[in-house]
Amino acid sequence: MSGLAMAGRSFLGTFGLVFLAIGGLFAADMFLAATDRAESHVEATRLFATGQALMKNGESLKAIDKISDAIAIERDNRDYLRTMAEAQLAAGENTEAQTTLTGLLTTDSTDGLANLLMARVLVKQGKVREGISYFHRAIYGAWKNDAEGNRRRARLELIDLLVQQNSKEELLAELLPLEENAPQDLSTRAHLGQLFLLAGSPARAATVFRGILHESPGNATAFRGIGQAEFAQGDYRAAQREFKSALNAEPDDAASRHWLDLCDEVLHLDPTLRGLGASERWQRSLALLQLVENDAAECVQPDSSPELQGLASKAGNALKARVSVAQESDASEANLDLAEQLWQARKKECQPAPSADSALALVLQRLTR
Amino acid sequence: MIQKLRTSFEKLRRNEDQLALVLSVVLGALVGLVVVAFILLTGRISARMYPAGGAGWRRILVPVLGSLSTGYLLWRYFPNARGSGIPQTKAAIFINDGRITFRTVFGKFFCCSASLASGIALGREGPSVHVGAGLASVVGRNLGLSPKQVKALLPAGCSAALAAAFNTPIAAVLFSLEEIMGDLHATVLGSVVLSAATSWIVLHLVLGDDPLFHVPGYQLVHPAELGVYAVLGVVGGLGSVAFVKLLLGLRQWFMRLPKWTAWLQPVAGGLTVGLLGYFVPEVLGVGYNSVEKVLNGNIVVKLVVLFAVLKIVATAVCYASGNAGGIFGPSLFIGAMIGAGVGGVAHALFPTETAGPGAYALVGMGTAFAGVVRTPWTSVIMIFEITRDYTIIVPLMISNMIAFFISQKLQKEPIYEALSHQEGIYLPTAEARFQAERIQVQQTMRLQPVSFSADNQAGAILAQIKNSGLDAWPVVSDDGLRGMVRNREIEQVVANGGENKKLWEILNGHRMFGEVPYVHPDHSLSLAMERMGASGANVLPVVSRANLRQLIGVVVLDDILNTYGVAKRNEDVPLVVE
Repeated sequence: MSGLAMAGRSFLGTFGLVFLAIGGLFAADMFLAATDRAESHVEATRLFATGQALMKNGESLKAIDKISDAIAIERDNRDYLRTMAEAQLAAGENTEAQTTLTGLLTTDSTDGLANLLMARVLVKQGKVREGISYFHRAIYGAWKNDAEGNRRRARLELIDLLVQQNSKEELLAELLPLEENAPQDLSTRAHLGQLFLLAGSPARAATVFRGILHESPGNATAFRGIGQAEFAQGDYRAAQREFKSALNAEPDDAASRHWLDLCDEVLHLDPTLRGLGASERWQRSLALLQLVENDAAECVQPDSSPELQGLASKAGNALKARVSVAQESDASEANLDLAEQLWQARKKECQPAPSADSALALVLQRLTR
Repeated sequence: MIQKLRTSFEKLRRNEDQLALVLSVVLGALVGLVVVAFILLTGRISARMYPAGGAGWRRILVPVLGSLSTGYLLWRYFPNARGSGIPQTKAAIFINDGRITFRTVFGKFFCCSASLASGIALGREGPSVHVGAGLASVVGRNLGLSPKQVKALLPAGCSAALAAAFNTPIAAVLFSLEEIMGDLHATVLGSVVLSAATSWIVLHLVLGDDPLFHVPGYQLVHPAELGVYAVLGVVGGLGSVAFVKLLLGLRQWFMRLPKWTAWLQPVAGGLTVGLLGYFVPEVLGVGYNSVEKVLNGNIVVKLVVLFAVLKIVATAVCYASGNAGGIFGPSLFIGAMIGAGVGGVAHALFPTETAGPGAYALVGMGTAFAGVVRTPWTSVIMIFEITRDYTIIVPLMISNMIAFFISQKLQKEPIYEALSHQEGIYLPTAEARFQAERIQVQQTMRLQPVSFSADNQAGAILAQIKNSGLDAWPVVSDDGLRGMVRNREIEQVVANGGENKKLWEILNGHRMFGEVPYVHPDHSLSLAMERMGASGANVLPVVSRANLRQLIGVVVLDDILNTYGVAKRNEDVPLVVE
C-alpha cells in the first residue's frame, strides 16, 4: 500500500473520529446542560421559597438577598423579579424596586403585577399622577392567575388612593366598572355603596344599599347607607327614618347613632323645612342667626373688616328686635339672609374654618342652595 | 458514494486554503463543545462540593483535597498541564512545531475541572485556551498536516476556546492575535475568526444567549468622571503590578523547593484558599458570582478592598504552587473589586458627578486585565462585548492604557513571558519577531549571481558546481529565469551517462515555473528561511515583483545566518560573476 493511500486513510479516519467526537460531545453537553438547568432550577426554587418566607416574616432585607441569589440562577424568571420588587418596596428600597420593575416592564409592558407594583412605588415616591396611570395599566394588564380578581383588587387599591386624594370624578369613573364586576357578597356591595357616597353619587349608593336590603331585610348597614344617601341628597326626614331603622336593627351601632343625632339637629334647626308655620320658621331663623352670631363672635376682633363687624352688629340688633306676628315672615327672610351673609363673611376672615359636617353648616349650605 | 467521499476528502487534503477553512469550522465546533463541557462539568462538581447550606469546614477540606489529588495527578501523569496554559500554548507555537499532546489536553481538562470545582482561586479561560490549542494540535497532526499547518491551526483553537469560555467572540479573536500570536496582522486571521464564530454558535446552541455577567446600563454621568477613570487606571495598574510581582516571586520560591515536593506544593495553594475562604467565602473559586454582585452594586464598598487583597494573595499562592488554572478570571475579579473601591470612594465624595461603584467595577475589570495580561485592546473589546454599550469605550480606553503603561513601566516583563522564563523557555517577543521581519532579503542577497544558460550541458557545468557549497543554481534563457537546477540532479544525470543533456531538458521534468520557490527583495529573511526549509535548498532566486522571470540575485542560507551573526560566510565559493 502506498504512503499516499495511507495518508489519505489516516486523513479520512481522523475526520471521521473528529465528527464522531463532535456528535458525542454534543450529546454529552446537552445532557450536562439539561442536568445543570434542572439542578439550578431546584436550587433557585429553594432560595426563592426561603426569600418568600422571610418576606412573610417581615425580614425584607434578608429576603432580598435570597431572592437575588435565586435570580442570579434564573435571571429571566419574572416571578422572582416581581417578588424581588415587592421585597425591595417593603424594605423601602424604592429606587431599586423601580429599576427592577423597569426591567420587567421593558420586556413586557402588559405585566399586570409589575404595573401594580410600579404604581405603588411611584405613589410612595409622591408621583401620584404617574402612579395612577400604572394602576390603570395593571387593571387592563395581563395576569397569570385569577385575572379578574387581581384586576378588581388593583382597581380597589386605586379607588382607595383616589379616596385619599378626594378625586370624586375619577373615583366615580373607577366605581362604575367595578359595580359591574364586583362580587355579589353583601360586604363588598356595602363597601361599594360607601364608595359611591364618597364619590358624591348618593343616588347610586342608595340603589346599591336598597339592593342589599332586598336580599337581607333588616340589614343595619344598608339602612345606614340609605340614610347617608338620603342625608347627602338633603332629605333629612327620610334619612332620619333610615337611621332609626338601622338602630332598631342594631341598637349599638354608634355610626347610625351619630348620623341620627346629626339628622335631629339639622331637622331641629332647618327653617326651610316644609310644613313649618310662620312663627316656628321665625323662631328657627332667630336660633340660626344666634348660632351664626355666636360662631362669628369668637373671631370678630377690633381689626376685623368693617363688613364683618357691621354684619355682626346687625345680627346683634336683629336678635334684640321686637317683631309682631304680621312681620314674622319678613323678619324670618331677613334673619336668614343676614345669617347667610355673616356666615360667608366669617368663613372668609376667620380661622379655623367651620366644620362642613356640623348641623349649622349643613343648614346654611342648604340655604345658600 | 464512499469513493466520492474519499475523492472529496483527498481534494480537500491537497488544497491547503480550503482545508484551513474547513478545519477552522470543525475545530470551532469541537473546541466549543469541549469548553462547554468543561464549564458545565466544573459547575456541577462544584455544586456537589459546596452544597447549599454546607458546613464551613468544607471550605477548608475541599480545596486541600482537591489540590492534593490534582497535584499528584499533574506531577505523576500530566506535568505539562500545570498552570494557566497560555505560556505552554505559546511555547507550542513558537518552539515545538505546534505540538501539544492529547495527554496534556486530557490532563488539563480533568485536573482543571477538579481543581476549579474544589474552589482553587484560579480561572478557566487560560486552561480552555490550552485545551483548544491542544485539540487543534492533536487533530492537525493526526490529519498528517505539516508542522507549519499545525502551527497555523493553534490560534484558531485558542480563539474558539476563549469565545466559548468567555462568551466574547471578538475579544477571543483579538486575544489570539494580540497575546498568543503577538501580531494583530497575523495571516491566520481568517481561520481564527471562523473558529471563534463557530464556537460561539455552539455555546449559544447548548447554553442559550446568556451573557457571562448581567450588568445594568452603563452611564457616564459627567465628563469630569473621566478623571476618576484615570485614577482607576493608576490604582488598577499598581494593583496589577503587585499581583504579578507577588505571583512571580512566590513561583520562584516554590521552584527552589526540592523536586520531590512538586506533587505536594499545590496543597499550599489549597490550604491558603481554604483558610481564607473559611472566613471570606468570596475568595473561593473564580468568583464570578461576586463579580456580578459588585457590578450590580450589591456589595458593600468597604468589603471590596478586602476581597481584592485576599484574592490577590489566594490566586498568587494557588498559581505559584502549581495548581491547574488560569489568571484570566481572577484578574477580572481583582479589577472589579478595585474598580468598585475607587468608584465607591469617588461616589461618596462627588455623588452627583459620578456613577455608582458598579460602573467603575465594570471598567476596573478591563483595567486589571490590561495591567496583568497586557493586552489592552483585547480588554477594551472584551468589556465592550460584555456590556454591549458604546459609551463605555472612552473611559475604558483611558483607564486601560494608563494601567497598561504603569504595568509596563514597573514590571518590564509581561506575566506570560516571565512565567515561561521561569520554566527556562524563552519565547520570541512580539518586538523580536517584528525586528526579524524587518530584515529583508535585499540586505543580504547577492546581485549578479552565477547562473547557467538553459542550453548548457550537464557535463560541462559539473566541475563548476562541485564543492560550491550551494545546492541549486539559476538556469536562464532568453526569456529570463527558467528555474533552479539542483546539484544532485546534474550529478545523477551525468552518472547515468547524460553528460550532453542540456539543462532545459532537466528542468522540463520540474514543476511549473510559478511553483519554483523564490523570494522578492522586500521579503523578510525569515520567509526566505521558511521557503528554503520547504524546498530543501540552501539558495533561492530573488526575482522582481514586476516580472517573476527577471532574476535579480540569489539569497543564500550562509549569508542569512551571517546577517543574524550566527555563521560565517564561505568566502571561497565563487558565487558572483566577476
